[in-house]
Amino acid sequence: MSFLAPAAFVFAAALPAVVFFYLLKRRRTTTLVSSTLLWERFLAEARVSAPFRKLRLHALLFFQLLAVSLAVLALARPYLPSGAMLQGRLHVVILDGSASMQATDVSPSRFEAARKKVLELIRAMRDRDRTALILAAGHTEVKQSPTSNKARLRAAAAECRPADAAGDLTEALRLAKSLVRDRPDARIHLFSDGVTSDLSGFESQGLRLLYHPIGVRARNVGLTAFEARADPEEPGRAVLFVKCLNASSNATTRRIELYADGRLLDTRAAELGPRGEAAAVFALPVNRPLLARVRLAGSDDLAADDEAWAPLAPPRPARVLLITQGNPFLEKALSVLPNIRLAAAPDMPEKDDFDIVVVDNVIPRRWPEGNVLAFGVAPTNVVRVVGSLEQPPIADWQASHPLLRFVRLENVRIAKAVAAQPARWLLPIIESREHPLAAAGERGGRRWVWTAFDPLESTWPLRVSYPIFIANAVQWLNPVQRAGAQRLLRTGEPFRCPLPRGIAQATIRRPSGAEQTVEADPAQGELVFGGTEERGVYTVRFGTNQVRFAANLLSAQETDLRPRPELALGRHAAPPSVRRSFVDLELWRWAAALGLLILLAEWWYYHKRTV
Amino acid sequence: MAESLLSPDLLRRLERLQIKARRRAQSALKGERRSRARGQSVEFADYRDYVPGDDLRYLDWNLYGRLDRLYIKLYEEERELAVRLYLDASESMLFGEPTKFDFARRVAAAIGHTALCGFDRVAVSVFPAQEADLAAYGALRSLRGRAASPALLRHLAGLRAGGRGRLNEALRRGAIEARRPGLVVALSDFLDPEGYEEGLRALVGRGAQVTVVHILAPEEIEPNRFGDLRLVDCETGATQEVTFGKFRLQAYKKTLRRFQDGLKGFCLSRGIGYVSCVSSEPIEEVLFKRLTEAEVWG
Repeated sequence: MSFLAPAAFVFAAALPAVVFFYLLKRRRTTTLVSSTLLWERFLAEARVSAPFRKLRLHALLFFQLLAVSLAVLALARPYLPSGAMLQGRLHVVILDGSASMQATDVSPSRFEAARKKVLELIRAMRDRDRTALILAAGHTEVKQSPTSNKARLRAAAAECRPADAAGDLTEALRLAKSLVRDRPDARIHLFSDGVTSDLSGFESQGLRLLYHPIGVRARNVGLTAFEARADPEEPGRAVLFVKCLNASSNATTRRIELYADGRLLDTRAAELGPRGEAAAVFALPVNRPLLARVRLAGSDDLAADDEAWAPLAPPRPARVLLITQGNPFLEKALSVLPNIRLAAAPDMPEKDDFDIVVVDNVIPRRWPEGNVLAFGVAPTNVVRVVGSLEQPPIADWQASHPLLRFVRLENVRIAKAVAAQPARWLLPIIESREHPLAAAGERGGRRWVWTAFDPLESTWPLRVSYPIFIANAVQWLNPVQRAGAQRLLRTGEPFRCPLPRGIAQATIRRPSGAEQTVEADPAQGELVFGGTEERGVYTVRFGTNQVRFAANLLSAQETDLRPRPELALGRHAAPPSVRRSFVDLELWRWAAALGLLILLAEWWYYHKRTV
Repeated sequence: MAESLLSPDLLRRLERLQIKARRRAQSALKGERRSRARGQSVEFADYRDYVPGDDLRYLDWNLYGRLDRLYIKLYEEERELAVRLYLDASESMLFGEPTKFDFARRVAAAIGHTALCGFDRVAVSVFPAQEADLAAYGALRSLRGRAASPALLRHLAGLRAGGRGRLNEALRRGAIEARRPGLVVALSDFLDPEGYEEGLRALVGRGAQVTVVHILAPEEIEPNRFGDLRLVDCETGATQEVTFGKFRLQAYKKTLRRFQDGLKGFCLSRGIGYVSCVSSEPIEEVLFKRLTEAEVWG
């Protein structure tokens, strides 16, 4: 056993004080008696008559000395080092820096309260203890590798900033687990409000995980969805879809305000029941690039989810080339799609300036360089044909993929298909028993959708799912749409942008005003920027171009601020303890509690004897 | 006043008792006690040879007829018994409910009344002397005959207690002053720091038939004050500090028992009768059981 505050043994001076008080005479009640003769004899026999007497072993003295000893022991803060005495204990501190930690239900904020607790833990560390600090904000980051240097740890803790992004503690817990591997004495301290993605995939078996919950309430309404689409009926107009969530158990009403370039355009009242949702749709003309902003009027515990931005640009119709020998179903399905300019050709023309090329069972003279929807055929470097399939049944399809949204394939029969092995970057989305029947993927900024069969050799064109699939495919492949989608990100999501040839760097201006130059890989021809933890509008400049994109929190998970007293970890995990002790095997509480019991026993014993 | 000490019914019951004298009466006055003196009574004692001048009425003519020798029949002379009562009237006797002093003088009255009814001489010696009671002391110094009983009871009832009693001195002086040993009953709590041994020894040495009536108050048997106490002796003013709780009651009782056993052992080893009583117990229990067992009367 060691002591965190050995200086407290100074209080052991109280022990002689107990003995001194024990030797002191007491205040006595004067009583007249017939004779003191008997009492003298009685006292002579009991030997208790002198004001100071020889110290004898007495139960009360024993109780008092024991109580004082336990109090001194408690003040010295004893603890039991488990095992690794010489090398000290390892603490891994995970500080949750997700958006919900900015909530102000705890003053000044959950994050600051957590940081304060972390600093207390650092202060309580023994000299030989080593501590690592992990910040689980938008990305998980080791702010300080294991060290016993408290100054460095304090500096690292002071550097931590909460992000505007949704949190995922799984990654931080995995990282912590890897740090404490083969260290059975190590502890993981998680300072969090428990507002995180599902942790059931993380097994904490064998880990000493201590969860320090933070947060007291969830008085919050936040935006959870914000999408901007071109109005299908009126191409010059954008439709904004806004959804908000009330995390509180009380009903409330908030006003949703829409601003365009800082000018208030429209407001909608959103009535929100307890833990209820409300949605609003705004429409605004977009005849020039503008910045739309929606805002929840009023204030609540979390400000990060009260605003969202969307840079909007006038829509440009997508140029679609259909290479076909003649397919009325496909032509019809494409021609009804809004906001596209369709051209048909029997083969690939020389000038390749199409946004999407649909190849319908024709091997073109050369394969297009853009986005391709290919039915039945594909270049061998994309799909390697290994055989053919007769009447392959549709065994499964990825209903969650954007291409197959609202697409049901139970009633589709296929007469003939090729057995093929698509390139790795193509993910099967419709599968037969052994071979994929359709695949989709993206490489070098180009998207491919491929089917292993000619739809004309199936019942698919007769089903309603066919035109839906064509519409989904065009939308998914449409770089104009993608560019629009790329301008609207969630915080923490990477920003991707194709770069013109010869440009390898871009300057990014953050919402806070800070500028940063990002190098891009010229071979990829794409800019990837991951530092989008800050909510707001980013401006990217490369060459003479300028692109704006917005990063919004838009997370129902973070908006729901309800503090979680427990974390639901994986199947084998015991619930992590919700203890607030910083040094877990500290024994002072036990010593103090025992001391109190001893005092009570002493009191009881004294009264039992004298009353 | 007399009624307050003993009820008429109790007095009537006491009249049926007779003081037992283990020793022969040594009084010079005739009474109803057998004595060593030969004289006129109906109790045959011995024969002796006739010498001229003897009263011819006491010649045993039947013996003369058989042996042809003259013998005089000797009869025991019945004389009075001196009953001396030592009554402790010190301050400490004022404790208890009723007080030990009240209890003691009721016992003294009972013994005195019984003795007077038996034509014995009764003397009551009260210590320490209270100036206000000197007349009563004089009246109680010597009483004889049944007719003196009301006076005994009246004077006893009028006594007061107070001051410091010196038991040894009172008994020793009484032993010296007594002309004849007789029966001595000492009524006290015997809680004298100077002890009791010397006085009792003097009485026994004088040849008296001594009986000790040891009277204690209920609070002396079982103290009811607990806590941190400073005890003040009512007679000597001496103080004693003590921390007393129920847990020490047994130890106290042990000390008390040792004290009582000490007194009893001292008495029994010297042929002194010992009667222990508590001031709160019924007087009949003491009079008709305890004193009878101690052979004070029968």
